[in-house]
Amino acid sequence: MAVLNVLRFPDERLRTVAKEITQVDDTIKTLIDDMFETMYDENGVGLAATQVDQHVRMFVLDVSENGDEPHVFINPVIVEKEGMMINEEGCLSVPHCYAKVERAEKVTVEALNKDGEKYQLEAEGLKAICIQHELDHLNGKLFVDYLSPLKRDRIKKKLEKEAKALAKQQG
Amino acid sequence: MSKRPNVRAEAAKCLLQVLDKGLSLSDVLPKAQSRVDEKDTALLQEICFGVLRFFPSYDNITNQLLSKKLKGKQRVFHHLIIVGLYQLDKMRVPEHAAVAETVQAVIALKAPGLKGLVNACLRKYTREKIELESSLNNPVCQWSHPSWFIKRVQTAYPDNWQQVLDQNLARSPMWLRVHTNNVSVEHFIDALSAANIGFEQPLLSQTAILLEKPTPVEKLPGFEQGWFTVQDGAAQHAALLLEPKNNETILDACTAPGGKACHILDLATCHLYAADIDENRLARVEQNLARLGADATLICGNLSDDDVLAEMPMFDRILLDAPCSATGVIRRHPDIKWLRRNEDIEQLANLQKQILDKLWQKLNVGGTLLYATCSILPDENKQQMTRFLKENPNASLNSINENETIDDPGWQILPGEHNMDGFFYCRISKQG
Repeated sequence: MAVLNVLRFPDERLRTVAKEITQVDDTIKTLIDDMFETMYDENGVGLAATQVDQHVRMFVLDVSENGDEPHVFINPVIVEKEGMMINEEGCLSVPHCYAKVERAEKVTVEALNKDGEKYQLEAEGLKAICIQHELDHLNGKLFVDYLSPLKRDRIKKKLEKEAKALAKQQG
Repeated sequence: MSKRPNVRAEAAKCLLQVLDKGLSLSDVLPKAQSRVDEKDTALLQEICFGVLRFFPSYDNITNQLLSKKLKGKQRVFHHLIIVGLYQLDKMRVPEHAAVAETVQAVIALKAPGLKGLVNACLRKYTREKIELESSLNNPVCQWSHPSWFIKRVQTAYPDNWQQVLDQNLARSPMWLRVHTNNVSVEHFIDALSAANIGFEQPLLSQTAILLEKPTPVEKLPGFEQGWFTVQDGAAQHAALLLEPKNNETILDACTAPGGKACHILDLATCHLYAADIDENRLARVEQNLARLGADATLICGNLSDDDVLAEMPMFDRILLDAPCSATGVIRRHPDIKWLRRNEDIEQLANLQKQILDKLWQKLNVGGTLLYATCSILPDENKQQMTRFLKENPNASLNSINENETIDDPGWQILPGEHNMDGFFYCRISKQG
């Protein structure tokens, strides 16, 4: 297992639309393990393959308090949405920035599990938000796209400045 | 996706690193502040500073609240309970919010099993505050300083030791020094008034500005244009007392972060050598000098090392802002009182003696050396200089104040005096 490098906004690779997974083979299984390790290492609750520069339709999440309820979603599709809520989100690709985003309150999702078996899941609350957030990644969309251009630009400038300072530090 | 980091959890982690691992808050806090949301950076700082100021009382109460001490990996929850106590005691956070937010931090610290314990401790505190506080009648809790330090201050200042300790618990004010090379004092104070920023000019030096309340630098006029530097009123005396003259060769020993070097170059066109032992800190001095368009020769090295000294010329003036206990700036750095140990003082005094003795050899006859520390302990200050003056017949006291004698040399500024940090200055001259 390995902690992978997470792409940071405004990296253009985050805009890639991911491709369907045709076969859940050992490469995908290794990627799943590495993505869980990366997500837990960065204190995230969800991570999409896009964020680690692998452009396949897959994400992992764990929104439990103990960090002991891992979920894998391969080729996920939302088949039903219900209600509306506004909640604060953050993203490992947009570090240290948090903003309120409108999402459906309940979602029903169809996907394959890590053994390639089809399943259906109904989710609400934080889990529902996280599913919508990660699915956006697979379509090249980020939560900052829902914000006003002014706010998005401020976040972009802040992250560019931080990246520059970091590059300088590492000389 | 990620959730906003919990500020209370970050505060507990900072406190663990300072109090249990001995790291400096100025190393730990900025890293934690970069992790939390921008809106929460001030709150994180307020909690860390507040807890460090009054740590013994909260530590004592936490030990009373817990039937079994939290050790090892659970130690961070001891500090988290303290974070909760501080909010309930001193901050304007509603009681239910202080408790609920602190309990949420338990989850962020990945031990939800301890939620009940933290909740019970904080609830018990709100119910039994008076009883719990009745056992805080020892000097360490009462004065919020380690006992060795209380004893040293009592010995040094038998008449006003309480005042010294009290001042260390106060919040520090913000001072600016106007860069007269970039803007006139008149223009700068007009700009402050126009921006509705309250200030005073309480010192003889008109370039020293005391703000009514601390303000982020970017909200002050002329930050980008280099109109001012943030520098305490006490530290602003260094360059003034050194009295640099044009064309002189001057050494600023232990220069980092370079505020005093910049001030010297503001006052005179001189050949300034700025030395420091720490390469990284010296790089910051270089940046600061570059920002102000000032020029100095930078030297990285140990000033008690003969090889380093051999590389340098003889000097007309030397500013020795010596490595010290920093016990004069506890109000600004409340972690100092818990990081410093009694035995450090003797070691620091020895180091100061070494550097002072060596640098004295690099001073021209007729030259001036200004010895400075941000300490309030006589071992590092008056006693140090009395010894030096007695051991070196070619050294004479060049008094700053009228009442100085060889047995009572220099100017000891106590913390809070005219709103300044605790500082010591002693000026001596070299005879032929």
